[in-house]
Amino acid sequence: MLLIGTVSVSWYLAVGAVLFVLGAVCMATKRNLLGVLMGVELVLNGANMNFIAFGSKVLRPEGSLGLDGQLIALFVIVLAAAEAAVALAIALNFYNNHNTVDVDRANELNG
Amino acid sequence: MELTTDFYQLIDALKADSANSLKLFLPEITLCVSIVLFLAVRLITNKLDLFWVALAGAVVGLIFSNPLQLCGGDVQSEELFTGLLVHDGLTIAIRTVLMLFLVLFLVFTKISGVPDRDDGADVYSLVFGSTLGMCLMASANHLLIVFLAIEMAGVPSYVLAGLIKGRKRGSEAALKYAIYGAGAAGVMLYGISLLVGLTGTAHLPTMALSLAEVIPAAGLGEQAVLCLAAVMISVGVAFKLSAVPFHFWAPDVFHGACAEVNAFLSVASKAAALALLLRLAVGLGSVPLHEIGPTRAFESHQETSLSDVTSTQWVLLEDDSDAVEAVVDGDSSTVLHVEPQEPGAEEITVVDVRHEIKQAYDEALTPVRNFIGLLVAFFAVITATFGNLAAYGQKNIKRLLAYSTIAHAGYMMMAISPLMMMLSTDNAAAEEAASALIQYIVVYLFLNLGAFAIIAFLRNYVGSEEIEDYSGMIKSRPVLVICLALIFFSLVGLPPLSGFLGKFAIFASLADGYSTAGSSALLILLLAGGINTAISLFYYLRVIKTMVMREPNEEHHLGDRPVGRIEMAYVILVTVPTVFLIVCWQWVAGFADEAVKNFIS
Repeated sequence: MLLIGTVSVSWYLAVGAVLFVLGAVCMATKRNLLGVLMGVELVLNGANMNFIAFGSKVLRPEGSLGLDGQLIALFVIVLAAAEAAVALAIALNFYNNHNTVDVDRANELNG
Repeated sequence: MELTTDFYQLIDALKADSANSLKLFLPEITLCVSIVLFLAVRLITNKLDLFWVALAGAVVGLIFSNPLQLCGGDVQSEELFTGLLVHDGLTIAIRTVLMLFLVLFLVFTKISGVPDRDDGADVYSLVFGSTLGMCLMASANHLLIVFLAIEMAGVPSYVLAGLIKGRKRGSEAALKYAIYGAGAAGVMLYGISLLVGLTGTAHLPTMALSLAEVIPAAGLGEQAVLCLAAVMISVGVAFKLSAVPFHFWAPDVFHGACAEVNAFLSVASKAAALALLLRLAVGLGSVPLHEIGPTRAFESHQETSLSDVTSTQWVLLEDDSDAVEAVVDGDSSTVLHVEPQEPGAEEITVVDVRHEIKQAYDEALTPVRNFIGLLVAFFAVITATFGNLAAYGQKNIKRLLAYSTIAHAGYMMMAISPLMMMLSTDNAAAEEAASALIQYIVVYLFLNLGAFAIIAFLRNYVGSEEIEDYSGMIKSRPVLVICLALIFFSLVGLPPLSGFLGKFAIFASLADGYSTAGSSALLILLLAGGINTAISLFYYLRVIKTMVMREPNEEHHLGDRPVGRIEMAYVILVTVPTVFLIVCWQWVAGFADEAVKNFIS
């Protein structure tokens, strides 16, 4: 039944929501800095999934975002790359000073 | 053939739009050109101090942002780049504040010696890039730009936090800022995707129209999704504002980063975030007049004689009123009945009808306004209270000021709440609330810049940022201490100083909102603001007491080198507005009033 039903927006939204939750959990639980950054990427991609689904004229003939959705997704991909580059540079700097990428070791400043 | 003409028409329209937009986009373009220059000049010569290039860029940017436009009368709200940005009084005002801050900030970094000449190019390009993002935050009219601008302002600041190489604390601060920032941005983006999906557009005014149609018919599920989206977006904005409970990065970053960067983060980033909050709140809470049938109004203005008015025009209006009827869901008092009238009254009637349509749309948006108003009020109360309470136990001056910054973000957010409650019922009072916010931002610029400048200079002389080590400072460096005391009293909001007027403007708008809208949330806000002002007095006083009353601590007292003339001149230059803005307060108030004049329409 599941296999022959039509794919609607909500299917994509479900995938997006799963990605978002996985990313959020990953950000909250991973102790390795790179793991946390991967969580951030998952969250951004979860949102991207929504944008693309909402932008599709096939899935949503009425009230679709149109090209806006896909454009936003493209911008987010570029932005995620830039953010990852900066975050990795900061991680490297942290490693040089602390000899670890464990976020729990970032405990000198506790506010 | 048809297709090609359409294509050329489209190209022509885009050309005209871009030409017009680029003219109003000059300050941002100046920032971009400066960034390219920083990187290019270093390829050619190593002799030129890039500070002068940066200063020239910032001054040109300030000139291009053209604050005098506000004096010249009405600045109409204009959409740039096919509606992605909006150019109005608020854009001009915030851009001016940012550019003015940039000029003062550059001079400050030059005097304090951080960054040194080798780092100049990197730091200046990061600062300018971040400022570019903040300018976009102040003029965003599309949720894509909202997100992009927040990231553009944020990503360079993560690097700035870890500016000084080889310092453990700096790298930790940068790391925490980057992780929290990326997380908040991700959550915000997901919220935006939900909101955009429900309304079918990302363009703010269109989104307000669409919300007005969606909300009265929304079921429980849709309402829940809307609330979820709003809360998620507020996470991103609250992070930028360092509002509690998304404040935890602020003390750590302020402690780990150098005082110069703190000045930048606490002033520029706050000002831009508040402008963005203002735009989002007003943009989602009301439908701008020009969004309602602009072409139709244009046509009717063109009509000169009544006999030309065709029945189709009336039919069009009738159609609209039907739409409105659907929106207000059977509330017959707001349904419009357009009847044939006498010739002379024609044009006025059309305009009135648009106002009434707007009224109906705005009425449908009442839940949105109340929700945003209460959400902001909630954030504001806990932010101000927590910031002030947590500032008590701090031993490091930068941490103390970080909490003070958090508390001030709370005070400033308070202005948004009455604004939302009064919007569309009493637009003049709502504008006053927005104007109060701008006034506070202007005062706050000088206050925090001055405070961090003094801390940076003291660091250069004493080599410490612990409050304990400042004891007895009045004897060796009286000018800096007196200026810091004046700034602190102004931050508290003691009457003769300018901080008082900023606070007074906000509290007045709260009281005004309470008497107009009668919402008890505003009364709570007002009380919280008053109590917070009282309790904040003590931790500021403690610092001043240490500096003035205590004997110098011989152990920590590093050197008695007198303060240089340039430092002294700079500190006095920044402190003078704090003290004397009260004398020419009508300028500040006038500036703020003009800035928000056409903001709510």
